[in-house]
Amino acid sequence: MTREVGINQLKRRDFLKAGLVFGAGASGLAAGYAAVPDAFARAVYAAKKEGMTNENILVMIQLAGGNDGLRTLVPLADPALHDLRPKLAGPMVSQALPLNSQYGLNHNLGGVKRLWDKGKVAIVQGVGYPNPTFSHFESIRIWETGDPTRRQVDGWLGRTLATNYDSNGHPLTGCACGATDAPGALRDLQATLTVIQNQKTFGFTGGTEVEAAVGALYKGTPGIYGALFDTAIATATETMATLRTSASTYQPMADYTDKVRLVYSSKNQLAAALQLAAELIVTGTGVKLLHVTLGGFDTHYTEINRHDDLMGYLDSAVSAFYQDLAAHNMADKVLIATWSEFGRRPKENASGGTDHGAAAPLLLIGDPVQGGLYGAEPSLTTLDNTGNLKYSVDFRSVYQEILSGHLGADAAKILGSSYDRVPFLKAPVAV
Amino acid sequence: MSVAPAQDQVITAPARTRGITRRQALAAAVATGVGVGVVRILGGSMQHIAAPRTGTTMDWISPLKSESARVMQLLRRTSLGYTPTHLEAALSDGFSKTVDRLIETPPAEPPVLAAANTPGGRFPVAQLQQWWIDHMFTTSTPFAERMTLFWHGHFTSDYRKAADDTFMYWQNLTWRRMAMTDLRSMLMSVTTDPAMLRYLDLATSTGQSPNENYSRELMELFTMGAGNYTEADVREGAKALAGWQVPQPDSTATVVVDAKNNVTRKLPVYSSQKSGVFNPRRSYKGSVTFLGKTGPLDTQGVIDRILAQPATAPLIANKVVQHFVTARPSTGYIKNLGDTFRRSKYDMKTLMRAIFNSPEFVADQSYRSLVKSPTEFMVHTGRALGVSSFSKLVVGHGSGMGQSLFDPPDVNGWPNNEAWISSNTVVERVNFVTAAMGQVKGSLPSPSDGIHRHLDGVLSPQTASLLNQAADDRARWFILLASPEFQLK
Repeated sequence: MTREVGINQLKRRDFLKAGLVFGAGASGLAAGYAAVPDAFARAVYAAKKEGMTNENILVMIQLAGGNDGLRTLVPLADPALHDLRPKLAGPMVSQALPLNSQYGLNHNLGGVKRLWDKGKVAIVQGVGYPNPTFSHFESIRIWETGDPTRRQVDGWLGRTLATNYDSNGHPLTGCACGATDAPGALRDLQATLTVIQNQKTFGFTGGTEVEAAVGALYKGTPGIYGALFDTAIATATETMATLRTSASTYQPMADYTDKVRLVYSSKNQLAAALQLAAELIVTGTGVKLLHVTLGGFDTHYTEINRHDDLMGYLDSAVSAFYQDLAAHNMADKVLIATWSEFGRRPKENASGGTDHGAAAPLLLIGDPVQGGLYGAEPSLTTLDNTGNLKYSVDFRSVYQEILSGHLGADAAKILGSSYDRVPFLKAPVAV
Repeated sequence: MSVAPAQDQVITAPARTRGITRRQALAAAVATGVGVGVVRILGGSMQHIAAPRTGTTMDWISPLKSESARVMQLLRRTSLGYTPTHLEAALSDGFSKTVDRLIETPPAEPPVLAAANTPGGRFPVAQLQQWWIDHMFTTSTPFAERMTLFWHGHFTSDYRKAADDTFMYWQNLTWRRMAMTDLRSMLMSVTTDPAMLRYLDLATSTGQSPNENYSRELMELFTMGAGNYTEADVREGAKALAGWQVPQPDSTATVVVDAKNNVTRKLPVYSSQKSGVFNPRRSYKGSVTFLGKTGPLDTQGVIDRILAQPATAPLIANKVVQHFVTARPSTGYIKNLGDTFRRSKYDMKTLMRAIFNSPEFVADQSYRSLVKSPTEFMVHTGRALGVSSFSKLVVGHGSGMGQSLFDPPDVNGWPNNEAWISSNTVVERVNFVTAAMGQVKGSLPSPSDGIHRHLDGVLSPQTASLLNQAADDRARWFILLASPEFQLK
């Protein structure tokens, strides 16, 4: 399965738990009208300027469904792998692209391997968190909020947006590309952001007359959804204006062909989404935090072809994206990072696939990166009591390095605590 | 069509409204409505409140004291739109009788989908989508379609992974037939549904090497919710559930699947709808420890043990309430509904009746507290305009708004309410209205009637003002359908 979680999608349990949206309305309703608690309204009216940061840009790629870390960074010399995965291990080891004597990349990650050879890829091994959940939705939420205790409601990127950038009137500061609703990582009631499924069709088919009418229609909309509606339209019209300018000046300098044969549940076209990201970056729209999603990683069955296809798909899209940024002299500003809610069970199942797992490697790609392997390889023989890989690096350590080292943001404030550093950046920003 | 606000608009004060008729009030709302906070016109009284500092601090004024407004809210939430005839019938029956009719009328079966005979179910999913939407437009029991849509989001499956659109078609037929039965038998139907067997991998799970996917989602998403079972329960449940396979076909057909390279494949052909079959040789023979008890356990036993836990009834009640009543139910409300549901042996009629007849369903706080899903919004639009040949348009526009039938975003189905609102989706909703208006060639129903029937005459100042300035009925319908009011239910 995939999970394209929404920013505006306060999940059912969020509502119940936080009671955050509507608590204050009841007395007003009794009087015949309500002062709607402005939790949603804050999205429109709040402006933040506290911690303006640098010119760096972050692109997060979600590998939704739980990416198989052992098929991404393959342990080449560990005999235990063949015991755990009698069907899956053979070809994945023999075909892997060796990085050293111990590890190789999935054979479809040839473009990433070329970037690795140039020192532009860092791989953090064994990333996870304590007491892992094997629920897609709970684990996605943990990664999105950066909080395994599940108390935090806002996304870690949304909080970054809200506390570090003036996104009021600049909805493109945060952008979910290739989606219809925004990912939870970008969600924060005080951060406006844009969601664009496809920039080629992003606009009012009725033309400027409809745009003007709808702009007038969606102003001061009453009710609990009023601010969300108004923000959505205001954001959309402003973004359309920006895109009209950027589309006329942007020339892609790479081949962004999305493979026709989409694997199951890869509903969004990753290459198209990254091309939109590149357009927004190179035309100077002011975009800072971008999020794209590739689904289909829930490989419970016939994993060999499906996962290899996904790796190839990721590889071609990321390679084109990097090439495009480099050709536009923007590669030094942009950090690309993958994330996934969990890895997969080391032991394969009867369906030729793997069930939900725990720790897995993350890829960090781009000129800001100090290439190499970080973290520690989880043991294939000393598994946890659920038969899963033990983590060695807390995912918040990776977030912290991204936030403070790349974006120059106050990581401890955003994450609520400080974590051990993972020094995967060439020249981390001093905070 | 001119929908832009006129440059020389005249802002007038709201008309005096004491003692005027509903029709006059409606006309007044359209004619004035500028400079007030939120206009409420129903039952002969038009009320206005002080101008807001910002519109977002105001709520809609609920008209739900009036029986007719309650009936319209009921239909809006249960019927995927309605025609003037449907509405007149419901208004004449009144709220209680309409509730009875919704719940007690057996679902009308959709027409047979001819493409379902295609070997291997290899026909375009758009045909399946269009078939369902056609039925939504023409059925005599729209509530059955609303419930089928609800269960399609709850017990969801994805045509890509099911890899057989005939199986997806069968699932739709099954969900409709079971929609208002009891959860115990529903869970058995769901577990053995061929598309579900594929979608959550139970079809490939064996007692010797169980696949956990179905076991986990059965408990996490379909019944109990995370936190109410352990990882050991997932593993043990997977053992107990193993053994189901998709049904044997009645025959096979050799089909050219790649004409260029002349590749043929033998594909299954089914002469009638079938459910999954249990193969004891693939099942688990030993005893399992599942949800606190140890012993041999079959599929019915798994379901019964889940239903013996207290967590399922509130989870289902809460989900239904999110779709039909409010996005923010109180815990007490959910507990009461859950208790009722469980006491009734998980009878869906009992639950739905309790929900519709609860004070919460017609409380002022519930007014416009839900966002129509894209499918609801589009079918409502067609019904409001009085057209029924809309299904192609609906199929083409769902994905941009975030809902393509038989193609949910993930195993949790579609999110709801505020998740339907983003910069992308709201623009796509407006674009759908543009396309829909383009398909209506003949005369339009009266917009004033539309404002009453579909918006209860409760308009924001902006909507009222734009309606007032619109050049013609086409422009008025455009504003009505594209308005925030019409996105809500």
